[in-house]
Formats: sequence, structure tokens, C-alpha cells
Amino acid sequence: MTELKYAELQKSYQLELKKLEKEEETLVDELNNMLNQKTFLEDKIKGLAKLLPTLKVIKHEAQDLVNTVNNISDSSEKISGNIRSLDNARSRVEECQARVSDLIDLEICSQGVQTAILDSDYEKGAAHVHRFLSMDQSLLKRTANDMDNISNMLKSVRTLQDAASQLRAIVTHKFTEAVNAEDLVSIERFFKIFPLLGLHEEGIKEFCTYLRTKVAAAADKNLKSAVSTPPSDKRHTIVYADTLTLLYEGLARITDTHQPLIETYYGPGRLLAAISILQKECDIQTKRVLLEWGKTRQINKKNQMINELSRMSSSSSFNKLEKIEPKDLDILIVEITLMHFRIELYNRFIQRKITSDAEVGIPNQDDRNNILKSLEQLIKNSDLSQCKHELLSHYLRLEQYYMEESVAKAIAMDSVEMGQQTSSMVDDTFFIIRKCIRRSVSTGSLDGICVIINNACRVLESDFGEVLRGRLRQGYPSGYLDLTQAYNVLQTSIQQGRLQSGDTEQSRLAFLVALNNADSSTEYVDALCDNVLKEIEQALPNLNSNERGKLESCLSGLSSVTTNLKDIIEYGIQQLRSSAIKPRINPWVDQFLNMSHHLTDDELSAYEAGESFVQTLIMNLETLLSSFKDILTSANYDLLTQVLTAEVTQRLEKVIMKTTFNRLGGLVLDKEVRSLAGYITAATSWSVRDKFARLTQIATILNLEQVNEIYDYWGSHDGALTWRLTPTELRNIIALRTDFKVEEIRRLKL
Amino acid sequence: MDDYKFLFKVVLVGNAGVGKTCLVRRFTQGLFPPGQGATIGVDFMIKTVEVGNEKVKLQIWDTAGQERFRSITQSYYRSAHALILVYDISSQPTFDCLPDWLREIEEYASSKVLRILVGNKIDREDREIPENVGEEFAERHNMYYLETSAKESDNVEKLFMQIAEDLMKQARTRDLPRYDSNNQTIDGRTSTINDSSCCSRLQ
Repeated sequence: MTELKYAELQKSYQLELKKLEKEEETLVDELNNMLNQKTFLEDKIKGLAKLLPTLKVIKHEAQDLVNTVNNISDSSEKISGNIRSLDNARSRVEECQARVSDLIDLEICSQGVQTAILDSDYEKGAAHVHRFLSMDQSLLKRTANDMDNISNMLKSVRTLQDAASQLRAIVTHKFTEAVNAEDLVSIERFFKIFPLLGLHEEGIKEFCTYLRTKVAAAADKNLKSAVSTPPSDKRHTIVYADTLTLLYEGLARITDTHQPLIETYYGPGRLLAAISILQKECDIQTKRVLLEWGKTRQINKKNQMINELSRMSSSSSFNKLEKIEPKDLDILIVEITLMHFRIELYNRFIQRKITSDAEVGIPNQDDRNNILKSLEQLIKNSDLSQCKHELLSHYLRLEQYYMEESVAKAIAMDSVEMGQQTSSMVDDTFFIIRKCIRRSVSTGSLDGICVIINNACRVLESDFGEVLRGRLRQGYPSGYLDLTQAYNVLQTSIQQGRLQSGDTEQSRLAFLVALNNADSSTEYVDALCDNVLKEIEQALPNLNSNERGKLESCLSGLSSVTTNLKDIIEYGIQQLRSSAIKPRINPWVDQFLNMSHHLTDDELSAYEAGESFVQTLIMNLETLLSSFKDILTSANYDLLTQVLTAEVTQRLEKVIMKTTFNRLGGLVLDKEVRSLAGYITAATSWSVRDKFARLTQIATILNLEQVNEIYDYWGSHDGALTWRLTPTELRNIIALRTDFKVEEIRRLKL
Repeated sequence: MDDYKFLFKVVLVGNAGVGKTCLVRRFTQGLFPPGQGATIGVDFMIKTVEVGNEKVKLQIWDTAGQERFRSITQSYYRSAHALILVYDISSQPTFDCLPDWLREIEEYASSKVLRILVGNKIDREDREIPENVGEEFAERHNMYYLETSAKESDNVEKLFMQIAEDLMKQARTRDLPRYDSNNQTIDGRTSTINDSSCCSRLQ
């Protein structure tokens, strides 16, 4: 037991011993290392010892530097304090100087102003007052408090204040005197003095009031000479437009010549005030001219008559009231458009002038906007604008009457010339409408243009379109057309009003001409829209997006007149179909039923040698179409051939379904359908393939060698056709072949 | 932008100062501009609304009420799909003029036009025309009736949306022209020809 313990102890001691031995080893190693480093360390220590004195020197120097910097900062603070107080002192000196100079000036001014007034040197006096007014009045008061001899200074101030009011009175008085004496030099002289006395607004008011009298005098003279213009004068018809032109040109000239004067002596941004005053005179004079114009041209009477006429034509047949000849209004309408345009131009002039004046003279955005707002109000609320609106209203009523009556006249005088496809009413109507719209463009008013476009739209759809539709409603009498005769009789009978029901020749021609009229009108409408838009863009280049939208909406109304016209054409073509095409074609196609379609080889060659069914049909169609070819417009002729093709194919399909065929009969049919399609393709400019699709497929079916051959064409393989026939239809058709077995047909999988 | 299915023209008429422009501004811009000056001629606004997942473009023509613009405003009646006749419920004279306006509508507008009577300014305390009087007038003349306030935005949205819905319904049954999104030249006119049963919608 103890032995065991001993052994364990021994073992542990041995372990301990080994550990200690290891430690010893490492210690010895470390000691060796240190010994190795010893020389190196000693070197280092030697180096450091050398550095030590240098460090001491550096420390001293740094301390010195700190001291110096502190000194400098102290002294600079002192200096800046000195400078600050110097600055203060200087500004006080300056203020003092200003006060002194104000005082000196005050003294000088107060002395000078009296002598100036006595010498009638108002410029000098006003300059003194201007100097006085430019002084800071509160500063003056403070100066007075700081001074000993207040009374002296206050006296000067009072003198100047008195002088100012005295000068104001004098200048105003002198100005009025100058105005009364028509002394232009003095007027200008005192006009320049007003702003020196702080009388900017008064100056402008006085001066513009004076200018108003000038404008009024000139306008009066012009109006008198207008009234006394003899009718023989070549400008007599537009003499009032000329008078307005003179008025506005005069005003524009005054504005242009005096604007620099105002700008120099009153500063920029004051044009609105000046023009506002002139505007009053402009309003008055414009109203006078228009009043005289209305009297001379009897505008109210004419308006009244037009109103009455329109009321009567809509309510009763009492139509024989003395009508105003639309041509007689022509000149008057031109004069109104001219007058309206002049006003428009003058408004634009004012706008341009004041806007640019504000842009130069008023840097503050808000102030500028206020000026522009007042400008808008000035123009909007002026009597001039009111006059402009009334003129436009007159114009629109007259122009509307002119358009309606002239178109009615064009329709009443409608005539068709030998060999013409259309009659005169188309050219005439569109000439009138074009003229009216152009005239509306010359007013310069977008609203006016839009109204005339709206009216044109109504006249074309209601008045013009209804006449065409009415003529088509009378129908197309069946029978052939003998053109030469028809033209001759038509001429007279159209003019006499309704066509007699017996005159079938002319009825036919009248019908076709109406159809052509509708077609060529669609082209006219499109051209009209294009041209009008271009002209408006030229005349009113600065439309904003809203105005453009307005115009485009009205124009789209005009261009949609074509939809209406196309309805009319469609109506006419359907008439033709039921009266000229259907009754003719049916018997021709029905001939098919009278022929045998069970042919032997011999019969086949005999049939082909003789005149076949299809040859006769083509000949008949040729005759029918050729009677229309020259008289119809090409678009209408195309429509007619389309209708004709549809009729022929449908009818032929119907009779085929009533017939039975053998192999050769089917062969002949296929040939005949091909040649018919060939003929019609050649006769028209559009593709007939589509219209013939069913018929061609029927012929293909009936031309089969065997029933099963149908699979070459039916199904989803490459050679298959796109069928227009349903499987049931196909079975029925194939059953028309008597040589095919019913069993086989029944077994077909379609 | 032009991907609308229908385009309708709506024209507002009525005496000067009854609030036509304010109604239009409220609807198109959500504004009530105080101190609005008198309208000159006609103003034109566009707003596209959605009715049952379909885009409907309303072209709104705001006409001047003053007499001297009559020859301008009258020319817009004919192509209108809907006419809104506005009066001011606090002003008897504007109500008294309604028969005159109806005569004008009769004379210039299409017989199929949708007509709506609107009594505006119900925010005002000094009402002169009781609601039932306006309503009876509208009934007598086969018109819709609605009272609005452009200031408080009462019934304004409803007014125009109702019109859009009704015109849509009309267009569907009556085959008004449809508009392709790529079709710029548009025909917004109800044809005055072959005019058969009118006013059937007003029951």
C-alpha cells in the first residue's frame, strides 16, 4: 500500500523534475538571448544620452514661441478693437457729413427755392424741392433735436415745404395754362417738372388728359370727314373702318412718341397708368364712330329684318317678305371684319407695349403679375372690347345670313352642263363656304372663326345635304338612260323646281348628278378642312393649347360632314340597286334555268360554238355598266359595280341551287364562272375575288371528277381551300351532280 | 392619352352670373375661383372620366351668358350631346329666363339632346326658388333636375357623371358613333336625319 503510494509519489516527482528541467532550459535560453542583446541595448542608450541636451534646447525654444504667439494675439485683438471704433467713428462722421450736407442743402434749397420761384425758374425750384424730398425726413427731425438753433432749421424745412406746395400749385396751374394756350413747349416743360415734385401720378394724369383732348379733336375731325365722304368715293364703303384705323394709328403714335418721355422722367413701369387714361378716350371715340356707322349703314334695321326672316322661314310659309340680297351685304360684312380686326390689332398693340414696359421696369415678379392682371382687366372691361364683341355679333349674324341665303341661291340656280358629272351647286356652295370662312379668319377672332365653321357644318349637313338626299329620295326610274336628251330637258326643269314625274330621262340624270354631287362634296370637305386649318395657323400663329383644342373640335365637326355625305351616297346606291340593277339582272341570270346542264360531248361543243349563257350575261352587264360609266364619278361607279357584282353572284348562286348538273354541265359552269369573274375584274378597279369566293367554290365542287376528289380541297392539308361554304351547304351542292351517288355523298366526312 | 371609347359634347347655358364657369372649373380642375370675370364667347375644357371601366371623354363647352355673345354660343347647340341649363336658386330673374332658354334650345339643338336643369348656389342662405319649384319646372319640360353648389362642391361630380352614364347608355342603344383610339377625326354628332322616337330615355 505505502509502496504503491511511494511509487506514485516518485512518479509525480519525476514529472515535476522534468518540468523544472525544461524551465531551466528555457531560462538559460532567455538569458543567452538577453546577453546577446546587451551590446545592442548599450548602443541605443549611448545614442539617447547624446540626444538629451538637444531636447532641452528644443523645449526652451517652443516655450519662447508660445509666448510670442500669445503676445501677437493680444496685440491684434487690441488693433481690431481700435479699427472697430474707427469704423464707428467714420460712419458717424459720414452720417454727420450727410446731415451737414443735408443741412447745407436745406439752407441752400430754402434760399434758392424762393428766388427760383420768383425768377420763374421752376426747373431750379423743383430741383431744390426734389433735393429736399430726397432727404430722409426722420433724419432731419433728429438732426433738429441735436442742434442748438432748431428754429433756423425748422424754418428752412417749413420754407421748403411751403415752396413745394406752392410749386405744385404753380406747376399744375401753369400746365393747365399751357394746355389752354396749346403751348406745346410749356406743356412738355411742366410735364417734366411734375415728377421732381413727387407728383408722378398727377403728372401722368394731367399730361394724358391733355393728350386725350388732342385725340378727341383729331377723331372729331376724322369722323366729320367720314360722314361727309361722298358715295362716289372709292373708299366710301369702308370709310368707317378707315376712321377707326386713323383713330388707333393716332393713339399708337402718341403712345410710341411719349413712351420714352415718360420712361426718362417718370421711370419705367408707368405706361399702364398712361394708357389707361388714353383708353377712356379711345372707348368714347370708338363708340362715336360705331354709332355713326350703325346709323349710316342701317345696321339695326338689317339685323331686325334678318331676325324676322329667320323666324318666318322656320315657322310659316310667309316667305315672300322683301329679302335682303346677300350680295348687298357683302361690302358691309367686309367693313365689319376690317373694323373688328383693327380693334383686335390695337388691343394686341397695347398688350405688347405694356407687357414689355413692365418686363423692363418692374423687377419684382409679383408686382409685374399685378400689372399684367390690371392690363387684362383694362382690356377686358374697356368699352372698346364691348364694341368689339358687338361688332363680332353683327358680323356673325350677317355672315350666317349671307352663307345660308347664298347657298340657297346656289341650289336654286343649280344647273348641269352637257357631259358634266356634277352640277353647279357643288362648286358654288363650296366657293361660298370657303369665302365665308376666309372672311371669318380675317376678323382675327378665334371665336368668330369657330362659329362660322359650325355654321358651315350646319348648312352643309342640313340645307345642302338635305337637297341631295331629297333628290335621291325621288328615286331612279328604271329603264335605260339616254344622256343627250336628258341633259337638254334637265337644264330647264331643275331650274323650275321639282321635276315632273313623267320626265324619266331627266329624273335619271338628276338622280345620278345628285349622287355625284355627294361624292365630289366629300372631296371638297376634306380639302376645305386642310386649307382652312393652314390659313388659320397663318393668321393666328400664337394659339395656346386650349384654343387649338377648340378649333380642332370645330374642324372635326366640319370634316365629319363627309360621314353624312357617305350616308347619302349609300342611300342613293341602294336606290339604284333596287330600281336599276336588281330588276334588270334577275331576268338575265334566271336564263340559266332555261338551259340544260346535262350535256353530252356533242352538246358541249355545240354549246361552246354558239352564244353561251355567260357571253350573253356579260354582254348585258357591259351594256348596263357602260350606260353609267361616263356619267358617274369613278368612286360612285366603283360602288355601283360592287353592288352589281353582289347582286349577280347572289342571284347566280340561287339559280344554281335550283339546277342539277352532270359532269360536263359542271365543267361548263366552272368555265362560265371564271369568265364572269374575269370580266368583272377587268371592268373595275377593286378586287372582286372576295365577292366571287362562294361562287368559285360552288363551281369547283360541281366540277369534280369524283366525289372523293373533294378531299383535295377540304381538310387541313396544304392544298385545302379556305371555305366560304358550310359542310351542309357543300353536301347540298355536291348533291346537285346527278351522276354522283347519294351513298358516296353521305359517306363524306367533312 | 387618347384612349377613350366615347366622346361627348356637353354645353352649359344660362344667364350671366349663375355659375356656369364655376361648375366647370370645379369639375375639371377641382377649383372654385372667386371673383371670376364674365366669360367671353365660349370656353372649352376636357375631362376624361371612367364609366363602368370605359373611358369617356367629356368635351365641356362653357358659354358666355351675356346677350352680346348669343350669336357665338348658339352655334354650339347643334352638336351638343347634352345641354346643361343653369340658374341661380337665389335669383328669381335667372329662373324666369328659363323659358327663353328653352326656346333657344328648341330652335338650335338636336331634338335628341339630353337636357338637364341645374339650380346652382345652394350654399347661399337667401334662396328665392324652392327646390320643388325647380323640380316641377324640369318635370314639365322633360328634363333632369339637380341642385348644386360649385362652391361647396355639392352634386357637381354627380351631375357630370350622371350625364356621362346616360349618354353612354344612349350611345349603346342608339348607336352613336364609337371612337377608335387611333381615330382622330371624330364625329360627335347625333344625326338629325331619320329622327324617329325621341325622348324615350326621359321616362
